[in-house]
Amino acid sequence: MSLAHYLAVSGLLFSVGLFGALTRRNVIGILMGIELMFNAANLNLAAFNRFLHPVGVAGNAVSLFIMAVAAAEIVVGLALVMAIYRNLNTVYVEDMNLLKG
Amino acid sequence: MDGLRLLLPELGLSVMALLLMACDLFFDARRGKVLMGFGFVAAGVALGSLGLAYNAPDTYQGLGTLWAVDPLGLYFKAIILAATVFALMLSVDYKSPDAIRHPGSFTALVLLSAVGQMFLVSATDLLLIFLSLELVSISSFVLVGYERRDLKSSEGAMKYFLFGAFSSAILVYGISLMYAALGGTSLIDIAPAMDRGVSTSFVVGCVMLAVGFGFKVSMAPFHFWVADAYEGAPTPVTAYLSIAPKAAALAVMLRVFTHLIPHTSLDLQGIFAFMAFLTMTVGNLTALFQTNVKRLLAYSSIAQAGYLLIGFVTGDTIGREGLLMYAMVYVFMNLGAFTVAMAVGNEDGYELEAFDGLARRSLGLALLMAFFLLSLAGIPPMAGFIGKFALFAAAVKGGYWFLAVTAVLNSVVSVYYYMSVVYHMFFKAPRTLEPARTDVLMTGTLAVAAVGVLVIGLYPEPFLAAAKLSADMLPAVSSHP
Repeated sequence: MSLAHYLAVSGLLFSVGLFGALTRRNVIGILMGIELMFNAANLNLAAFNRFLHPVGVAGNAVSLFIMAVAAAEIVVGLALVMAIYRNLNTVYVEDMNLLKG
Repeated sequence: MDGLRLLLPELGLSVMALLLMACDLFFDARRGKVLMGFGFVAAGVALGSLGLAYNAPDTYQGLGTLWAVDPLGLYFKAIILAATVFALMLSVDYKSPDAIRHPGSFTALVLLSAVGQMFLVSATDLLLIFLSLELVSISSFVLVGYERRDLKSSEGAMKYFLFGAFSSAILVYGISLMYAALGGTSLIDIAPAMDRGVSTSFVVGCVMLAVGFGFKVSMAPFHFWVADAYEGAPTPVTAYLSIAPKAAALAVMLRVFTHLIPHTSLDLQGIFAFMAFLTMTVGNLTALFQTNVKRLLAYSSIAQAGYLLIGFVTGDTIGREGLLMYAMVYVFMNLGAFTVAMAVGNEDGYELEAFDGLARRSLGLALLMAFFLLSLAGIPPMAGFIGKFALFAAAVKGGYWFLAVTAVLNSVVSVYYYMSVVYHMFFKAPRTLEPARTDVLMTGTLAVAAVGVLVIGLYPEPFLAAAKLSADMLPAVSSHP
């Protein structure tokens, strides 16, 4: 296993996430795509830390921070989904069309 | 953690925010307004303490482990705190007392967002940039969706959230690539790493970082969330979002791209020049077709961000001065415009028709609105003219003729839609003759904004001097051990 393997996986993960976030119509699906993008970055950081900069733990530390913050962010997102679902009974973005112009 | 004392205003405000959140449990919505009062007093005290930092640079300015407290940072912190104070003052009078439930939590979120922005303008480290940007974003998402009963508010927050989280993900990936190139997260003294040659991962990382910031500044083509989030949000929050986070994101862009990353290693100015052009043009052209004043002001704020980006494009001291000057002017005029909009919109909504005949209902408000809109359009002798002049002059001096010319043309276009609001206020028959309701704090905000726009417009020298002082003294990064 070399750095290239890790980078390939993380690149793939990022692309899948990006594709999902841009094409999904379901808010939960979009959130999952975004989460994949965050995880691709985490994988990157850990791999770079291990292979390129083995002295110090900056990369691993940053990825820990990212995990915590991403979790917090998703919590807010799900709360918003709940608020909308209670009123509209939908989680599809095309039904959220009150604001236009 | 050396230099922690440099962050005393931030720490104080964070503690205050947590206290307010706890106090919220003991107050109902009506009496809880007093917590908003505590909030803006706290922000005001923090604003005052920044004066100390200006007066005694040796004690209060310097470099910490992840942050730099310098005149540029302090200047932007003052702008952020001023916007915070006024946004909280407006929140007290927003709609009925029930519109903002749990005022303590609301205040706490505004303060936390302000703290995030203050960290952001000081940050010299990728980790702190990420964390503070997230603190700003997450609290803003909640603030936009704060009127849970109002579907528009939730919808605006949802769209804001999706774009915001998406941009954070891109930013984080960019940070991971920059880490690969730099071997650390600190942006101070990266010149040695650059001497070995600029790697592809560094360039891609920088571009992704710029995209992440671009979302926050509402730089086209990353501006799609702006109108929806601004229309859905409670108006004080809209006023706040259109000023403070934008200024903060611009400040961090200034610090990272024109100062910490050496110009010789990476030249993105061409791209940014195009983005500035696109941002103001898209903002202005879309604003032409708006029938809702909140949306109109939202697109206008995109266009204003485009003007501000000019100062960033040239990247030299003159451009920075122009940007600082315009950012200060922008606080007053945008705040004023949103305050009048709120006075009308509290009862009648924000469609253009609601502004029909405002001159006959409340002449003062109509005149003030016209005054602020003229300033936004950049008509002399209002302050907006001074700010725009400084920016456009910087573009010309920097050799960006194309940018200066399109900016002037854009200002001309903007007069049309600003004046359409004025037309509705002065030349249409009102539906009622009832004057729009304004409370003490709203009147106070309006007065401060009007005086600010007038004084800066008529006697700009001291303000230009302040901007100059703040632009000149960025931290001498390379001298840090």
